[in-house]
Amino acid sequence: MKKRSFAPVFFVGPHLILFLIFILIPTVYGIYASFTHWNLMNNPEWIGLSNYKTILFDETSTFYNQFFNGLKNTLIFVVISVPLLIVIPLLVAVALEHKQIKLKGTIQAIIYIPGLISISAAALIWLLIFNKQLGITGNVFHSQVAWAANQPYAWIIIFVISVWGGVGGNMIIYRASIAGVSKDLYESAEMDGAGSVKRFFSITLPSIRFPLIYTFVMTTAASFNVFGQPLMMTDGGPRQTTHVLMMYIRQLAFGHGESIAGMASAMAVLLGLVILVVSALQYYVMSRNSN
Amino acid sequence: MKKNWIVSLLTVFIVSIMLSACSNGEDKNTITFWTPLTGDDGAYMDQIVKSYNETNPEFKVKHVVTADMYTKISTVLNSGKGIPDLAIIHADRVPGYVKQGALEPIETAISGQPEIKEENYLPQAWSTGNIGGTQYTVPLDIHANTMYYNKDLLKKYSVESFLDDNVVTIDEMLSLQGKLDEGQYVVNDALLGWVILAQVQDLGGDIQENGKPAVDTPVMKQAFENVKKIADAGLMTPFGEDGYLMFQSGNVLFSTDGTWTSTAHAAVEGLNFGVTNIYSPTPDKFTNRASSHLFAMLGNEKRTNEKEAGIGAFLEYVRENSMEWAKAGQIVASKQVIENPEFQNYMQSFFTANQQEIDSLYIYTYEYYPYVAEAVDTYCADIVRGNVDLDETLKTMQKFVEDKIAESSKTTTN
Repeated sequence: MKKRSFAPVFFVGPHLILFLIFILIPTVYGIYASFTHWNLMNNPEWIGLSNYKTILFDETSTFYNQFFNGLKNTLIFVVISVPLLIVIPLLVAVALEHKQIKLKGTIQAIIYIPGLISISAAALIWLLIFNKQLGITGNVFHSQVAWAANQPYAWIIIFVISVWGGVGGNMIIYRASIAGVSKDLYESAEMDGAGSVKRFFSITLPSIRFPLIYTFVMTTAASFNVFGQPLMMTDGGPRQTTHVLMMYIRQLAFGHGESIAGMASAMAVLLGLVILVVSALQYYVMSRNSN
Repeated sequence: MKKNWIVSLLTVFIVSIMLSACSNGEDKNTITFWTPLTGDDGAYMDQIVKSYNETNPEFKVKHVVTADMYTKISTVLNSGKGIPDLAIIHADRVPGYVKQGALEPIETAISGQPEIKEENYLPQAWSTGNIGGTQYTVPLDIHANTMYYNKDLLKKYSVESFLDDNVVTIDEMLSLQGKLDEGQYVVNDALLGWVILAQVQDLGGDIQENGKPAVDTPVMKQAFENVKKIADAGLMTPFGEDGYLMFQSGNVLFSTDGTWTSTAHAAVEGLNFGVTNIYSPTPDKFTNRASSHLFAMLGNEKRTNEKEAGIGAFLEYVRENSMEWAKAGQIVASKQVIENPEFQNYMQSFFTANQQEIDSLYIYTYEYYPYVAEAVDTYCADIVRGNVDLDETLKTMQKFVEDKIAESSKTTTN
């Protein structure tokens, strides 16, 4: 009789338990809460689709305006930041492959470290840099703009801090992937007369398509959840043009006064659905093209 | 071998769970005390608690600085586990918490402490914790919006007379139009929402009428228009600039921030500053919008009567020994402390110097004040800078508050 082994359970078990406690149960409860009136302290009261109707169809409601303004601003952030967070790390990773580049490890560390710094500390530094009176932009470049209070400058400082903090993570993934591409391919292509641009598009890019899909999908999902950068850099201003959806959700659930957690949950579920659909589409389109 | 390995893993797992369970254990002789006091404030409170524990009380106090405390309070009240014995909450939380049944009357804890009574505290700090005749809190302090002034700049522009009656009026500020050097301003926009709410009181208005929110009102409009005049005249620090830092760098005559920032200003070398009341549209009245840190007991069935008596003893100690808290720049609520000559060493003693100053410290107690304050904070900068239409935005703000109230009113309390 074959002896039954419990070893796999011990390997998978801790992860499963953590997944259940910190991911699955909160997610299911969050979805449930979106169908309720809930102030975090009372027993959630089931109201069906009422929150969703208000958010999606009641044009006179504050929550409708908050949701669509937040979603619009979040989409602006995603559409601009994701290409930057894919292309710039990729270019840096490719550039670091050049034979004449010295101190690759140091350069990599310098680019990666900003991602480890807390957004609050980073924002304080960048706000001082962009400070008209005290900062580099005002004193060295003679910029007379109050960056956080005027568009498009408010968005620009949000993108600057996002790219500064986000380039390193993807760059590491690309460098590791590029290192795995066989050198023989590059040598043969070079012998056949392929230039560096041709080698990049014909060898490097196809060889790292899966890391590219992964980073594209993950960066997009992370960008939809943007919160800290606009909160710290502009506080949603001017005129709430950088007020992203996560900021509204947090204000409703954990802001001033009695919590409106049911409505906040409904907004969060809708944001989750948008992320799910966009990620699935991205994955589908990119996998189909790579095949 | 394999069996040993599995047993070892299992042992580690069980021990981990046991240890994590231990960390949640509640000592029956310890008062768990949550506060949202991060930074230096937390250190000053630590010192008060340490001094109290050195008196060897029957129930020692364990101070836990809890960032994001209000979120955690919701969580523990919901689960019924890990509820602190005592907490410090802000004044604007009291009406909502009482309505939701989250607070227990503090009367049981202070019944053995005859000196913990209204007469021994600043009146508005005490009364803000009284809902429907029941006392839910004991105050630690009042922290108010205040106006610092740069003595050197006042002298430079020969306007020290602005301070003669302790009320700097908007007209006085406007009289400086066109007289300042480039890069210098009369006032900054720090805590602008609080300033607007003070103007509402100065104009004889309120943020509620018969329990209904009153945001889109002639008084609120007037309050915004008055402050906007200063910005329109180019006398307010530019939009998006750090007016607080500009004051510290010596380029702004007045800074409308909080009593608690006096310590930060004092640390700036060469900044020669004093404190006065928030500017007013009229010389006849001035208001400094304020809040208060309050000791409160969250609903917790496990808290024994003996422990509640221990809490009372701690609150009495704080009443007698909270001079330490003045170091944080706060106006201590205990009269015993503020009547002590030592309190005069602190800048915020300006606000307890006479009855008129004490009366100027205004704490909003309207149940839905947090929503009104949120609406004012969200829109005030754009209104004052003329980025949005005032009438239209006031309507939006009114709707903002009404929608939130309507939504929160649908929830039923436990």
